[in-house]
Amino acid sequence: MTDRIWDQYLTERDKAVFSASGFGATADWGKRPALLVIDVNYAFCDEKPVPILESIKTWRTSCGEDAWEAMPVLQRLIGICRGKGVPVIYTTGTRRPDNWDSGSWSWKNSRRSEDAAPKATSHGRDGNDIIAEIAPAPQDLVVLKQKPSGFAGTPLQSYLQLLGCDSVIVTGTTTSGCVRATVLDAFSLNYRVTVVEDGCFDRAQASHAINLCDMHAKYANVYHSDVVAEHLQGLREGMFELPSGAGLTAQAAE
Amino acid sequence: MTPDRFEDHVWKDSVPEDLLQIYAPYQRETFVGPNPALLLIDLYNLAYQGGPVPPLELQDSYPSSCGIYAHRAIAPTRRLIAAARAATIPIFYCTSDLAPMAAPSDISATRRRMSPRSAGDFEIWHEFAPQEGDVIIRKQRASIFAGTPLISHLNRLGVQSVFVCGESTSGCVRASSVDAYSNGLKVTLVEECTYDRHGLIHKINLFDLHHKYADVMEVDEVIDQMPGLNT
Repeated sequence: MTDRIWDQYLTERDKAVFSASGFGATADWGKRPALLVIDVNYAFCDEKPVPILESIKTWRTSCGEDAWEAMPVLQRLIGICRGKGVPVIYTTGTRRPDNWDSGSWSWKNSRRSEDAAPKATSHGRDGNDIIAEIAPAPQDLVVLKQKPSGFAGTPLQSYLQLLGCDSVIVTGTTTSGCVRATVLDAFSLNYRVTVVEDGCFDRAQASHAINLCDMHAKYANVYHSDVVAEHLQGLREGMFELPSGAGLTAQAAE
Repeated sequence: MTPDRFEDHVWKDSVPEDLLQIYAPYQRETFVGPNPALLLIDLYNLAYQGGPVPPLELQDSYPSSCGIYAHRAIAPTRRLIAAARAATIPIFYCTSDLAPMAAPSDISATRRRMSPRSAGDFEIWHEFAPQEGDVIIRKQRASIFAGTPLISHLNRLGVQSVFVCGESTSGCVRASSVDAYSNGLKVTLVEECTYDRHGLIHKINLFDLHHKYADVMEVDEVIDQMPGLNT
């Protein structure tokens, strides 16, 4: 095995345990994937690559420059999926203007009260708006959620069922939060799971690496985007009955 | 079945003309979906106790029995199960979760007043005995999906539609059908294999489900269209 991003954080004992206990075996890809893009919105990315400690002064949940390093990866995978007719499903947050429904989110962050005042980007977009550089196209699906998992209180499971998906390829943010929660629920629902190593990001580098390590050990194949792109290129075109997009405005970046 | 026969079902003599007019926009062709699984809802001994008599006569001795309605459904249900086995369609039973200390005492599938239970009440009726390879889901509430791993099993098997039958039409069959629909599955309800404690409740609930969430189809038609049997 070549070096993995998490190796530098593991003790020698950890490495010995993983290899001796059989975790991290390579699982099957599944045959009918959907690409999931978790929460790549302005609140998590800022409007442009800004050093994270600077960025979080404005957007307290920002992942800073790491978000923007993942953007070309996302564009590439989204482009391949659209070309093949593989479903692309985004998630992002939704909230009442008075923030009443933040619920448990208000329990663990001391800057939560800032959310009471609506914040907009310089071009007037909401923090929950998906970044324009990877904007959803009319045939894509957007799932609005309030909790970490893309499945929690949303129609995501029914969409995968309607599309006949047996697997998900997960990208987005944060690796330790919403990506992991979504991966875990997909696993619990018996979907095959792939996580794109360089298509995910987090505000904490150690959290990013260790969560990838955990997911690769137990729930998913964690692959570099080159591997995922090659796999997607090998899929047959037109396997899915995607939404027609009729009546929706094209806003996808060219 | 073609759209012109959409209302050609057991409720035909009980639904007034004005209601049929209001529900006309639901009229459509009914059919069996791809990659099905068979869901057998609550086919346990309690429903059959006291034999094939009107449930009112069993009110004191066997208040959970569906009496004549349960017994009438036995023969068609046996045919349905046999066809599903021949077509190697996955079969899921469900019954009450009786694991000790699994739920607070006031948790149940309905608000019905219960009589004391005895061993075997929630075993599957002997004429539908589960076989090796079948799955029995233990549930605490009305729907076979609520708090159970069913959807995970269906996902792994690549199931895209379900045949639903059993009891009661107004309770666990209805709840399970609506949850199947909400999960994106195509739902076919098998008319003669589904029953309740009273004809009217049965008919009206089938009517609701047929129009909104499921295709109610006769057992012969379901078997006729069952993938894997006739191809």
